[in-house]
Amino acid sequence: MAAPGSGLQRFADVAGDGAPRLDAAAGEELVRVDRAASVALGGRSPEPPGTLFVTTRRVIWLSEAEKGKGYAVDFLAITLHAVSRDLEAYPSPCLYTQIEAEIGTDDEAGESNPEANDELELSKVSEMHIILGDPGQFLEIVLGIANTCILDRASVDALFDVFCHCAELNPDPNAERNGENGWFHGEDRTGGGWVHGDEDMVDENGPQFFNANPIGQNGEYDLSHSVFEVRKEFVYLQINDQRFEDAEEEQESHENGH
Amino acid sequence: LFFSYFKELVGKEVTVELKNDLAIRGTLHSVDQYLNIKLENTRVVDQDKYPHMLSVRNCFIRGSVVRYVLLPQDGVDIDILHDATRREARGG
Repeated sequence: MAAPGSGLQRFADVAGDGAPRLDAAAGEELVRVDRAASVALGGRSPEPPGTLFVTTRRVIWLSEAEKGKGYAVDFLAITLHAVSRDLEAYPSPCLYTQIEAEIGTDDEAGESNPEANDELELSKVSEMHIILGDPGQFLEIVLGIANTCILDRASVDALFDVFCHCAELNPDPNAERNGENGWFHGEDRTGGGWVHGDEDMVDENGPQFFNANPIGQNGEYDLSHSVFEVRKEFVYLQINDQRFEDAEEEQESHENGH
Repeated sequence: LFFSYFKELVGKEVTVELKNDLAIRGTLHSVDQYLNIKLENTRVVDQDKYPHMLSVRNCFIRGSVVRYVLLPQDGVDIDILHDATRREARGG
């Protein structure tokens, strides 16, 4: 099995019934299946329809037309997902996703020339659209265009929620938890109290987070420090207030690290 | 610290910059313990680079890919943040 979180990969581990073989031993479960779904990698045109399988760990797409052709990407590598309603580009609202790819742009993967070579460098693909087909094509004829759009919208919105759910199931292995589980929407504030620094996020090694290593490039990079680096940067660089002057020393060394 | 602080920001306009340099402005809808962020009413700051984001209005951003979050100047309670970070820096 390929290393998790390493971006978009080819997938061909298919069982006899056409379903992908999952890592059941590790607890991977199927969450959602969409027939007649297509994917568009990078800036390329959508592939002929296939089947989308969303599991608790990754997203797999298997081509219907070309047996043996398939792609998979771990949720660890899906950095962003959103509903896109660009009806000029795609026939229906679709799910737009960004994938953490190798350094090096989609240009090398043929994005600037979508019709070009078949040899797509998957590791450099950083964008993927997922277009849901309309499995109820009979419904489309009967209900008319407006209702079809509603069906499409509902499907892709549901897929968006599924992606949110599965992304939450796949936090970074070394990510620091911030205490409470679940999402905070702002309606039910429990006093808005501050989480005390002595209970969590104590970095016993001191401020070691101002490293020059670019985050994500070095596989051995300490993710716990990289996460902390993000947070500190958030504080010291973005608040331009003179009361933060005592942090200038760290700010300078951090800027050197960039 | 930051999860608590982010809770204060829900409903406010923020700009999230990702490690791939993409900057997205939107209303903070919600945040979780891993600092995964859901934004609404999004618009991309640098539209030329990511044209596919133009038609996106709501998005989910993985916490691990956030470089930083730009806050509205007047939406920030500097005193609370200042005290909390000082407490943090001292190790509690």
